[in-house]
Amino acid sequence: MNEVCFKNLGKENPASFTTYEANGGYQVWRKILKGELTPDEIIVELKTSGLRGRGGAGFPTGLKWSFMPRNQEVQKYVVCNSDEGEPGTCHDRDILRYNPHSVIEGMAIAGFVMNATVGYNYIRGEFMEPYYRFEEALKDAYKAGLLGKTLQGSPISFDLYTHLGAGAYICGEETALLESLEGKKGQPRFKPPFPANVGLFGKPTTINNTETFASVPEILSRGGQWFADLGVENSGGTKCFSVTGSVKHPANFEVPMGTPFSKLLELAGGLKEGRTLKAVIPGGSSTPVLTAETAMNMTMDYDSIANAGSMLGAGSVIVMDDTTCMVKTLARLAHFYYDESCGQCTPCREGTGWLYRMLQRILDGNGKKEDLDLLLSVSEKIEGNTICALGDAAAAPVVSFINNFRDEFEYYIKNGKSIIEGEHNLIEEATSV
Amino acid sequence: MSEIEIEIDGNLVKAKQGDSIIKIADREGIEVPRFCYHKKLSVAANCRMCLVDVEGAPKAQPACSTPVANGMKVHTKNDKAKFAQKAVMEFLLINHPLDCPICDQGGECELQDVAMEYGSDVSKFNEGKRIVPDKGIGALIQTDMTRCIHCTRCVRFGAEVAGIVEMGGTGRGEGVKIEPFLTEGIQSELSGNMIDVCPVGALTSKPFRYEARTWQMNAVPSVARHDLVGSNIITQSYRGKVKRVVARDNDSINETWISDRDRFSYEGLSHESRALKPKVKIDGEWQEVEWQEALDFTIDGIKNNAKNPEQLGVLASKYSSLEEYFLMQKLARSFGSDNIDFRIDQSDLSDGGSLESSITLSEIESIDHALIVGSYTRLEQPMINHRIRKAVLNGASVNTINSKQFDFNFNTELDLLSAPQKILSTLHAILKSLHLKIGTDVPKYLSKVIPDDVHNKIADDLIASKNGVIVLGEHLNSNPSSSAITNLIFQIAQITDLKIANLMLSGNSHAAERVGFMPTKNGMNAISMFNENTRVFMLMDVDCDYDFINLQSAADCFNNEDVFVVSMSSFENESLHTNANVILPMASYYEASGTHINFDGLVQSFSASVKSPGDSKPGWKIIKVLADLLELEGFDYINSTQVKDEALQSSKLKSSFDDVNAEIDDSQITTHWQYAPYATDSVSRRAKALQESNIGMINSAFVSKSTAKRLDINGDDLYLGVPVSITDAVAEDYVFVHTNQARRVEGG
Repeated sequence: MNEVCFKNLGKENPASFTTYEANGGYQVWRKILKGELTPDEIIVELKTSGLRGRGGAGFPTGLKWSFMPRNQEVQKYVVCNSDEGEPGTCHDRDILRYNPHSVIEGMAIAGFVMNATVGYNYIRGEFMEPYYRFEEALKDAYKAGLLGKTLQGSPISFDLYTHLGAGAYICGEETALLESLEGKKGQPRFKPPFPANVGLFGKPTTINNTETFASVPEILSRGGQWFADLGVENSGGTKCFSVTGSVKHPANFEVPMGTPFSKLLELAGGLKEGRTLKAVIPGGSSTPVLTAETAMNMTMDYDSIANAGSMLGAGSVIVMDDTTCMVKTLARLAHFYYDESCGQCTPCREGTGWLYRMLQRILDGNGKKEDLDLLLSVSEKIEGNTICALGDAAAAPVVSFINNFRDEFEYYIKNGKSIIEGEHNLIEEATSV
Repeated sequence: MSEIEIEIDGNLVKAKQGDSIIKIADREGIEVPRFCYHKKLSVAANCRMCLVDVEGAPKAQPACSTPVANGMKVHTKNDKAKFAQKAVMEFLLINHPLDCPICDQGGECELQDVAMEYGSDVSKFNEGKRIVPDKGIGALIQTDMTRCIHCTRCVRFGAEVAGIVEMGGTGRGEGVKIEPFLTEGIQSELSGNMIDVCPVGALTSKPFRYEARTWQMNAVPSVARHDLVGSNIITQSYRGKVKRVVARDNDSINETWISDRDRFSYEGLSHESRALKPKVKIDGEWQEVEWQEALDFTIDGIKNNAKNPEQLGVLASKYSSLEEYFLMQKLARSFGSDNIDFRIDQSDLSDGGSLESSITLSEIESIDHALIVGSYTRLEQPMINHRIRKAVLNGASVNTINSKQFDFNFNTELDLLSAPQKILSTLHAILKSLHLKIGTDVPKYLSKVIPDDVHNKIADDLIASKNGVIVLGEHLNSNPSSSAITNLIFQIAQITDLKIANLMLSGNSHAAERVGFMPTKNGMNAISMFNENTRVFMLMDVDCDYDFINLQSAADCFNNEDVFVVSMSSFENESLHTNANVILPMASYYEASGTHINFDGLVQSFSASVKSPGDSKPGWKIIKVLADLLELEGFDYINSTQVKDEALQSSKLKSSFDDVNAEIDDSQITTHWQYAPYATDSVSRRAKALQESNIGMINSAFVSKSTAKRLDINGDDLYLGVPVSITDAVAEDYVFVHTNQARRVEGG
């Protein structure tokens, strides 16, 4: 556990330059500056490692990096997506707090591989402490001569800047993030063109998640095969999971891919006293909810969770027990997407409001029998028809909650109240802190 | 780009790599519903209405933003495409008010049309609908933003075409509002196009509000006459009145846009001051009479007052039709007078003809450099300015020599402020710099001229330009050395091998020039005509308050008891009553057939859209009858087409340039009276909404601090009746009066 991104946890001053360096940090970067590693070697190593984008989509990182037109004579950019906004996620925040140098080194390596001399780390607006930690780390890295122009006498230059967001969930979508970084309103762009061709300021750009970048130095120093072997087939390495909800010790855990969910639950101290497991959202609020039975039979890797009917997503595991009202939980989630939709494209702008209003009406005791089918039909009409994935993300919980817990919804509509006596809402608890 | 083949709805079609699916579908006549897509605007892909099924893609793809690839198979009407399209339609309608019966867009609404095919009869939406409060955005555009479907066409139009970002999407999610950022209303001279691009009833024409339904109106294709472009329009009339003007596509002229002046001026046609009945002045009293009496009175007046034919003078505005110009000059010349002119607002008529433009409208789009001299092109020639803007967006640079700094909608590199009296010396310096840089002989009259850095920079840019243009604007008209200035510009263009765009003569001036509506060597021009030898004036569409550069001498002449003034006019006002002896009511824009000749020399004829009101008659008919009554030969026309055909046979006057070396005193303070764009012609001046718009209300006398001191005026004063605005964006020793008010003269 905690071998890659969280490997300095528990050490004194884990975020400091000295701790990072003392534990093997910046070795890869120094090797590169000495000319001992080529971009192609790095890409091969990353491909071997099986590292997949940790932001949610899970696209193979080595492949992504190889798409960049590295020899094109234009400014290219590397962007880190630290706009961690998925309800239930907080591990990128802790990487920035406790291991910021791994992100810096990972981004610098990416810059070298893709021939990009400038990088930006876009940090979620609410992350004030991580922002200052990262800024401090940046200063130290510059001071050590590891960032800047023609580093250590090599022809390699890499400048890195931090940018603090303004609190919009949508800016976690990579193209909305680019718009925001350019100083515009955060709205996703349609693709194609893809950022690898037309990205930040119209230039080729690669965007990866914080955890992805933070994994790179360790992978390169210990070998792609080592990393791959930590995990299971198709899901190399370890992954950070934020476990929240009805557990005794909600926390972040970096565990090997393929760890059984039951083991992860154990790590978090198990369910609160006297409760039984009811449902699990395995990858963040945008991924479909699973019943207890399904969850207990799955392992935490891309394929197993997909087979269970959900997605690994951003690794945000929300655990719900028998006291959770699924109607109220879904209404809360629907409100989130309604509130965070950017409003650019029709299905999401109009559809998220429609979903939310219907659920709120049910919650108010004014639900109608036909509402459930209408909720499913509206979700189906949003799905796949929007510019970005927020539409899909808004639809997925609605479909999975109703399909898995239809009885509860029907009871609420019929009786105007929850099937759970003295119900409370875990999502609200988890996100209101 | 290479040619590829794709399949749409089972048809194999050729396409270019990179083209969007929607472009190919449109070309092939395959209907794909859309709202945000507009062929002249950037792709937004936000409405999602054009989702189609592309084989191999798991999700439906927007046809507007998906580039075609070889072998691609597209289905626009299969179950998957239809499901997506109907889904989007349902979403668009849930918050749309569906108030079609009281919406002006009803009957010409894209949402309505598409909903007919893709919408459902029954709404499943049981929640409350969204209501959006309206911000007023000015006198021209009516907003009803509750109807907005957020397609952002208006936003993109502002940013990309008008060049002024006035509308934007504020807020997010369901709360996104399309609204102006500022509260003072829309500033663009092209704003009305937002009405045309809006697919729903969110933005509609304010003056047209609740006037008529689109299907009730009679639509007639026509041509706008306010500027040199001759934008193609459609007039829509109801019960004999023009109710609305909209743009008609013509890519080589106005693309799909028209200026606000062309769009909203029609309101002036129903102004209360229309001349509806012939009137004669007997013993100082105006009397309404029948046509026969008015014509007899006119003929008697002409015959009695003009002791010989050369005592007749004929003047017209720049906004008459080719036919009217041709017949009027033919009447004068058959009568025996060569005193004919339309250049009534020009100070210097010494060169006998205007400099010819050597570039076409669409060529302007691909220039690499422009030097603009004496023009606020954005307000004065909006559609030509639009082409310059397109060139600038493609990398062209622009320098200006103006007496004031103007708010162009493109970036200018260098703005040289030069008072009118100094423009000549500025051009001398530039010409000398050019001679020195190119290595040609410097003419003697330039020997004492010393170019400075700015002159050298302008010269450098002209030399570096491969495909540039020098633009002359209408501010030069009132310049006493305009002939010398045009001559210099001609020389500069010649030695730098650049094109010329002459925007000095607006309206239908090209038609006037084409038929020779100017004196030949023996005749008197619009300045020299005002003397005691002219005993009869025939005025065509001339407003004595606004149009004459030499107000006083005109008034002196007209008010002489021995002078007889015939006015063919569509409007009456006090000055006309004071100055004229007879008013012959004339048809105005869209009320008579006619012909416009535009910047490219393109001859565009139009028919009457409506009958002229009251007893007013088309100008060409009035002139023909007058000629008949004067017993002149060769006026046997049955229709205006015959007039046009004969008019076009006449050849244009050729302009010649002598070396003019005018000496001027440049220490005096000069005043330039520049009409705001909606005060240029008699119809626009009476168009209510235009006058109430931001541009319509332009009325300031701009003066520098030190000049204000010399004139002993300050910021609260009026200068010649116009509010003073002290600014450093204006040349010294100079007052730039930019106004909608009638011209006044110092001491007048």
